[in-house]
Amino acid sequence: MDFSAIPAALPSLLEGMLLTLQLLVFGVAGGVALGTVLAMMRLAHAPLLSNLAGLYVNYFRSIPLLLVITWFYFAVPFILRGITGEDTPVGAFTSCLVAFVMFEAAYFCEIVRAGIQSIPKGQMAAAQALGMTYGQCMRLVILPLAFRKMTPLLLQQSIILFQDTSLVYSVGLMDFLNSARSRGDIIGQPHEFLIFAGLVYFVLSFSASLLVKRLQKRLTV
Amino acid sequence: MISIKSVSKWYGDFQVLTDCSTEVDKGEVVVVCGPSGSGKSTLIKCVNALEPFQKGDIVVDGTSIADPKTDLPKLRARVGMVFQSFELFPHLSITENLTIAQIKVLGRGKEEATDKGLKLLERVGLRDQALKYPGQLSGGQQQRVAIARALAMDPVVMLFDEPTSALDPEMVHEVLEVMVKLAHAGMTMMCVTHEMGFARQVANRVIFMDQGRIVEDCTKDEFFGDLSARSERARRFLDLVLPH
Amino acid sequence: MNYNWDWGVFFKSTGIGDEIYLDWFLAGLGWTIALALSAWIIALLLGSLLGVLRTVPNRWASGIATTYVEIFRNVPLLVQLFLWYFLVPDLLPEPLELWFKQDLNPATSAYLSVVVCLGLFTAARVCEQVRTGIQALPKGQAAAARAMGFTLPQIYRYVLLPQAFRIIIPPLTSEFLNIFKNSAVASLIGLMELLAQTKQTAEFSANLFEAFTLATLIYFVLNMSLMLFMRGVEKKVAVPGLMSVGGK
Repeated sequence: MDFSAIPAALPSLLEGMLLTLQLLVFGVAGGVALGTVLAMMRLAHAPLLSNLAGLYVNYFRSIPLLLVITWFYFAVPFILRGITGEDTPVGAFTSCLVAFVMFEAAYFCEIVRAGIQSIPKGQMAAAQALGMTYGQCMRLVILPLAFRKMTPLLLQQSIILFQDTSLVYSVGLMDFLNSARSRGDIIGQPHEFLIFAGLVYFVLSFSASLLVKRLQKRLTV
Repeated sequence: MISIKSVSKWYGDFQVLTDCSTEVDKGEVVVVCGPSGSGKSTLIKCVNALEPFQKGDIVVDGTSIADPKTDLPKLRARVGMVFQSFELFPHLSITENLTIAQIKVLGRGKEEATDKGLKLLERVGLRDQALKYPGQLSGGQQQRVAIARALAMDPVVMLFDEPTSALDPEMVHEVLEVMVKLAHAGMTMMCVTHEMGFARQVANRVIFMDQGRIVEDCTKDEFFGDLSARSERARRFLDLVLPH
Repeated sequence: MNYNWDWGVFFKSTGIGDEIYLDWFLAGLGWTIALALSAWIIALLLGSLLGVLRTVPNRWASGIATTYVEIFRNVPLLVQLFLWYFLVPDLLPEPLELWFKQDLNPATSAYLSVVVCLGLFTAARVCEQVRTGIQALPKGQAAAARAMGFTLPQIYRYVLLPQAFRIIIPPLTSEFLNIFKNSAVASLIGLMELLAQTKQTAEFSANLFEAFTLATLIYFVLNMSLMLFMRGVEKKVAVPGLMSVGGK
C-alpha cells in the first residue's frame, strides 16, 4: 500500500466532494420541501389527496434508489424533449438531483407525517380557537413544533442521503467516490484511493451522526 | 438455612446496605418490612445474588454467595423467588412457564415437569388456566402462577419481594392465601411485604429496616406487642401501616 | 413525440438465441432473489449475534459490536461493495485469490462479493434492531430468569430473544425489504440481476419506458408480497393476551 499519491490528487478529489455536497444540499432541501407537501396531503381529509400521496410514498419506498437514478437518467431528456419539442440537454447532474428529490421525498414525508401526528391535538384546537385558519395553524403552530421534534430524524435521513449520493457512479457523474476511483485508476493505485474514499465517508458520516446524537440528547432534556 | 453476615452494599458512593446481619432457620417465616428506600428489596435480592454486594457474606443452605467459586445459577435454582411484577414470561403458555426451568435448568423430562407443574397449578387453584398465556390472566392469577413456578423447582427456601404491591386491592387476598398455606406447610420463607396482617398470622420473626440498616429483628409477638419497646422509626412506620 | 410505445416488447426476441426479453427479466429476478436471501441469512445470524453482544454485561463484547456497527453503517454500501469486489480478493492468500479470479466464473465471484457485502452491511442494521428489542423488555424478565437458575446463554435463548424478536418483526421486515432493494448495486459490478437486465433491455429494444415500468412493477409486487408474508409471520407468532406485539 502506498498512499503517497493522494496529497497530489486532493484538489480533484475536493471537486468531487463539492459535487457530492451539492447533491446532498439540494437533495435534502428539495426532498424536505416535497416531503412536507406530501405529508400535508397524506394528512388531509380529502381522500383523493391522501390516497395519491400514499401511493407516491409506497411506490418510491418499494423500488431501489439505483433504479430511480438509472431510469431518470434515461427518461428525463426524453420527457423534456416530449414537452419542449426540441433536444434539451440536461446532463446527469440534473437528472440525478431530480431522482434524489423525488425518491427521498417519500422518506422525508413519513418523517414529517409522524412529526405532525406527534403534536398533541390540543395545539391545533388552541390555534383554531384563536381564530386561525387551517393553513395558519399548520404554518404558525403545528409545523414549527413538529420540525423541532423531528430535526434529529431529518438529519439522520440526510446522512443516509449523503452516503447514497455515491450511487451516481452508475451514471458516470464525477462525485467524490467516482473521482477517487478514476484518479486511482489513472495513477495505478485503485486500492489506496478506494480505501481513502471509504475513510473520508466514514469520518464525515460518523462525526455527523455523533453530532446528531448530541443534538437529540439536548432536545429531549 | 440463610445466614446473612455483615452485608454492606454501595451504588457508587451511596451506601444502600450497612452491616446487615440476620439468620433464617429452616421452616421459619421471616417478614422484612420498612419504608420505601430502606433497602429491604435490595437485601432480599442479595440472598440469591441478583444484586451483588461488596462486603460481608450470605450463606444459603451451606453455600457461600461471596465465594467466587460458587456456581450462582446452580444456587439460584434451589432458591425460589417471587417478584413484585410477577415476571411470568409472556411468550410462553402457563404450562410452559411452569416447566421451562425444570426442563432446561434441572434437566427433568418433559412429562415429569408437566406433571409437577400441573399439580402445583392445582395447588394454587388455577388448574383450568394451564393452556392460557400470562397476558390473559388477572394480576392475582399471574402472581399465583409465579409462586407455583418457583415451587416447581423444589426450592429449599422461598423469597418474596413485595408480592402484593402491584396488585389491585381485591386480588391481594388470593395471593396471601396461597402464601399462608405455604407457610403452614413448613416452607422456609423470607418475605418483603407491607401486609402486617400476613405477618401477624404466620411470621415467626419480623425484621424492620430503615436507611439500609436492620433496625429491629425480633419475634412477631415482640414486634406487635409492646410498642413502647420499639424504636421510634418502627413505631412511626407501624402507625402508618397498621389499621386503627 | 417520436417514441414507439410497444407493450408487447417483452415477448419479442432479443436476437440472442431464442430468448425473449421476458426471459431476461426472469433471470434477473432470479439473481435478485438469490442475492437477497443468501445475504439475509448472513445478516440475520451475524446481526443477532452482534445484537446480543451489545447487551451482555461485558465491556469488550459490547465494544466490539459497537465498533462493527459504526464502521458498517457509516461507509456507503457502494464503497463497501467495491472494497469486497476489487480489494479483498487481492488480500487473500494466493491459491484462494487465483481460485476467486480465475477458476470461478465472473458471475459467481460477483455473486459471492455482493452476498458477503450485503450480508455484513445489513447485519449492522439487524444488530441495532435486536439490541433495541432486548432493551425494550422489562428488566425484571432477565432477573426472574436468573432467579430460576438459568445461565446467561439460557436467559437469551429462552426468555429474552423469543420476546425481542417478536417485538422487532416490523423493523426487521423493512430491513428484509431493503436487502432486496440494495441488491441492485450488484448491477454495478456486472452481475445481471433485475436492474442490470432492465438496463440491457432498455438499450437493446429502445423501449425504455416499458422496460423500466415492468422492472418497477416487479419490485413493487415483490415488496408487497414479502410484506404480506411478514405480516403473516407476525400474526402467527403473536402471543395471546398481548394487545399488539411491540405496542408497549
